[in-house]
Amino acid sequence: MRLKAAILATLMVVMAACSSQAPAAQQSTEADITLSGPVSITLWHALTGPQQVALDAMVKKFNDTNGKGITVTALNQGNYTQLYQKTLGAIQAGALPELAHAYESFVADYMKADVVVDLGPYKDSKTNGLTKESQDDVYKGYYDTNTFPQYGNRLLSWPFTKSLAVMYVNNDILKEIGKPIPKTWDEFEATALAATKKDASGKVTRMGFAFNTDASYFNAQVYARGGNLMAADNKTVAWNGKEGLAVLQMYDRMNKNGSGYSPKSFDYQSDLATGKLAFFFSSTSTVPFMKDLADKAPFSWSIANLPQAATDPAKAKTVQFGANVAVFKSTPEKQLASWLFIKWMSETDQSAQFAATSYYMPVRATSANSQTLKDYWAKVPQGKQGFDLIQYSSPEPNIRGQQDIRDVIFNMITEVITGKSAPDAAMATATTKANQIIKDAQ
Amino acid sequence: MAAEVIPANVRAPQRRRLPIEAIQAWLFLLPAVVILGVFQIFPAIAAFYMSLFKWDVVQGAFRGFGNYSDWLYDSSIRSPDFWRSLSTTFTFVIFTVPLEIALSLVLAYLLFQKMRGRGIYRTIYYLPYVTSFVAAAAIFFWVFHPTYGLVNDVVGILGIGPQRWLDEPNGIFAMAASSIGMTLPGWLAGPSLALVVLSLVTIWHFLGYQIVIFLAGLSNISQEFYEAARLDGASERQLFTKITLPLLSPTTFFVFTVASIGVLRSFDSVYVLTSGTGGPLDTTRTVTLLVFKTAFQQAQFGLGAALAFILTLVILLFTLIQFRVLGRRVNYG
Amino acid sequence: MSERAIAIPRGLPRLSSRPRFGTIAKHVVLIVVAVIVAYPFYFMVTSSLKDTLEAIRTPPTIFPNELHPENYTEAWNRAPWGRYFINTIFVSVSVTILELITACLAAYAFARLKFRGKGILFTVFLATLMIPSEATLIPRYVLMSPSRVACAGFPCLGWFDTYQVQIVPFIASAFSIFLMRQFFLSIPNELADAARMDGAGHLRFLWSIVLPLSIPALITAGLITFLGSWDAFQWPLIVTSKPDFRPVQVGLSAFRQEAGSSYHLLMAASTFVVAPIVLLFLVAQRYLVQGIARTGIRG
Repeated sequence: MRLKAAILATLMVVMAACSSQAPAAQQSTEADITLSGPVSITLWHALTGPQQVALDAMVKKFNDTNGKGITVTALNQGNYTQLYQKTLGAIQAGALPELAHAYESFVADYMKADVVVDLGPYKDSKTNGLTKESQDDVYKGYYDTNTFPQYGNRLLSWPFTKSLAVMYVNNDILKEIGKPIPKTWDEFEATALAATKKDASGKVTRMGFAFNTDASYFNAQVYARGGNLMAADNKTVAWNGKEGLAVLQMYDRMNKNGSGYSPKSFDYQSDLATGKLAFFFSSTSTVPFMKDLADKAPFSWSIANLPQAATDPAKAKTVQFGANVAVFKSTPEKQLASWLFIKWMSETDQSAQFAATSYYMPVRATSANSQTLKDYWAKVPQGKQGFDLIQYSSPEPNIRGQQDIRDVIFNMITEVITGKSAPDAAMATATTKANQIIKDAQ
Repeated sequence: MAAEVIPANVRAPQRRRLPIEAIQAWLFLLPAVVILGVFQIFPAIAAFYMSLFKWDVVQGAFRGFGNYSDWLYDSSIRSPDFWRSLSTTFTFVIFTVPLEIALSLVLAYLLFQKMRGRGIYRTIYYLPYVTSFVAAAAIFFWVFHPTYGLVNDVVGILGIGPQRWLDEPNGIFAMAASSIGMTLPGWLAGPSLALVVLSLVTIWHFLGYQIVIFLAGLSNISQEFYEAARLDGASERQLFTKITLPLLSPTTFFVFTVASIGVLRSFDSVYVLTSGTGGPLDTTRTVTLLVFKTAFQQAQFGLGAALAFILTLVILLFTLIQFRVLGRRVNYG
Repeated sequence: MSERAIAIPRGLPRLSSRPRFGTIAKHVVLIVVAVIVAYPFYFMVTSSLKDTLEAIRTPPTIFPNELHPENYTEAWNRAPWGRYFINTIFVSVSVTILELITACLAAYAFARLKFRGKGILFTVFLATLMIPSEATLIPRYVLMSPSRVACAGFPCLGWFDTYQVQIVPFIASAFSIFLMRQFFLSIPNELADAARMDGAGHLRFLWSIVLPLSIPALITAGLITFLGSWDAFQWPLIVTSKPDFRPVQVGLSAFRQEAGSSYHLLMAASTFVVAPIVLLFLVAQRYLVQGIARTGIRG
């Protein structure tokens, strides 16, 4: 009897011991391998001009210094739409590169073909991943946007060329009319109206605000007014609430009193630079263009957060922009090499370096300590102004069908500013269409 | 010479002549058949295959003609989109092609005559055709700018207020009516101003191209006809209507067919000038733009291919009708 | 600008040599239309010579305040234009020559030879003009890929990043065939009879008689083909990844993206991309209406 009890007890102890030492859920071992030989990988991207130059410099540095025999080739494939087109074609042809620059909605589409690598295991890998401290250093918003609820909340891409929606201000005009940078929406509307000038015949000679019909700026304003874009279950839109309506109504009023106008292409940039416009909303990536204009004909300008409905500054919100990079399934070695490259790009020094040369935002907070960025900000203070706002930037929805919903929003805004529909009518039509699109796209 | 002249078109007994000529014909056609077969027809068959499936990034379930019926009547989103874009496309053609042809024919006729500087004129008229749409679009955005465009200044002189041009979704008839206080029912609103501007840009672009073709056609008309007619005392106008127009008809027919197909299929100009979005409230969304959006924004390749084939059928039908109706009136001299 | 020795003057002869009201009216019409038509081009060229700020000024100035030809050098240095131009010229010339050859052969068959299935084949050819290229883009892309099985179970061509991918698919065009066919149809039958009685075969007839009579058509088709190739954008973009094989339009499009408010540079680049075609046309247009007189054919 005692022996049995003893055996039972021992068994129980052993079992208990075993279960407490049970290995953690087996990570994909792919993420933990080490490279055995030289690897060549290709990155397809949509950068041109100075951004492309900046990327090429980073790529060269990586190729020269990685010490693991990884060679990266970065190739421009046109603009984002063309890049998307080409990647879709490559999926059909079975000829994908190892990495591609992609918006979240693109990644969602690519994942339908199940060709995208889950980066979670790589990020968490003991051998090749990021330490907890390093992981926390990356802005939370950047994780959020690359996590896809419709694919089991997996991390399917990594931040790459991020920016955010901010407000550009012509300080000279504000000084002239004696108003500060507006902090609330009411102040904004009033200041824009005050900045508007008309000549004798009633033609507007100085505008307050340039309407941007792009859906992203609508989304930014909804956020800034305290609203949400999607319902919690991601099955219907939520921008049709009172916040979204308020945006349309403001556009309507500003359109009617002449303080707002519709710019074409990039003329809002030159209009602000030549003192014809007081405010516009744009991405932080517009900074180098404004800087260029300011170099040629100096004027005083700055970046501020969008006017906010929340009185608590910590609750300020705007929209995150920019694209990410996704890794495609190939061989474990190539996948690892791809991860190592994007990990390197996002480390403190490299992130700062890339930010300073490409004008995109660094992906982690400690980059602010790097001398490169500090020097850049000394020259371009607006860069720092933008940087300080990253923490307030939130992603746009990344569900499938989002591209079409953007078109719906664009039409909705157009209807209001061309006077074709009243704000609530336009909102109602748009909501129905958008919800139908979501239903169809799943 | 025997009095019995055998007309050139009489064939010797078919059995002997036809095969040799047929073989020669096929040899002549071989390069074209091979190239077009491999690079146009085979991909078209592949695209047709895609159109029979749900192809949402990757190949899905077989749908037979399900994609087609979605576009034509079955789907609550796609069908209205299709019919709308078809109507837009046809309106675009109706506004563009006849005007294009009339203008280029008249100009070609004028340029054909001996006059000083006609080489320069011809080169100037050809310039739009060689100016890529990328560059042209940038310029037209300025010219038709809603706030400080040149065109607004010009129409201002005529007493018309500044317009939004490429951003204007309202129909031109509705706008004209409302300016005199009337309101027209929705369906009579007419094409949007944006579409009309698009039409004008298209005419601008293809003017030189069509003038060049007409010039070549005009030069094909033998002078003897004119000489003989002048001897008979014909006036300039009679020369034009009785000799030029009829003898030019093969060329005119060609230009009409090709221009119609071109406009029905046009994509680049529309895409660039509307920045790829389908224009203000989709009033410039032609079928080709809808194909592009379906395939390359929604990644719905099956539906995109189906729509493209529907468009192809429409174009084919339209062209066949043209061949029937107009082809008869062509004089091959 | 002397015209070749032609017995019968080209163009409709004027009845008298005094300027008539009709002539002046014609000139007025032509000039007005010319101004409207050329304005955007004028705008492009003048903008290319302005400095940065003046180029984006609104309303735009009619003439640059100062000329800045260095914009051209700056724009040229921003991208491998030399390489792009070499690629484009090689591809365009090849396509034009080859396409004219296949078009003439095929058009001759359609216009002057009898064979079964002519109507159907012609319709099929025309049908290729009607299918929007967006539909066949993906299949054509797959056809060019190095995939081993995507082409109906067969290995595909594997022609990415080459010259042949930009040339071979365009060696035949239903458009050129259609155009030449219309012209060949108007060659009088008497000529064909004469040739046959001389014992000339179809090929000889085509080469020595039909082609020389069709020079305007050939030049037209050639110019249009060349321009189409010069302007090729979507296809080269999608089937090439590296600058080594890319043509000028791809370069120009990338340039447009990065130009932002450097409007003057974008216009400079647009101008030098367009200039060779304009020069080509200036030279070629003389021959468009200068055919060879058909002497001694009738009567």
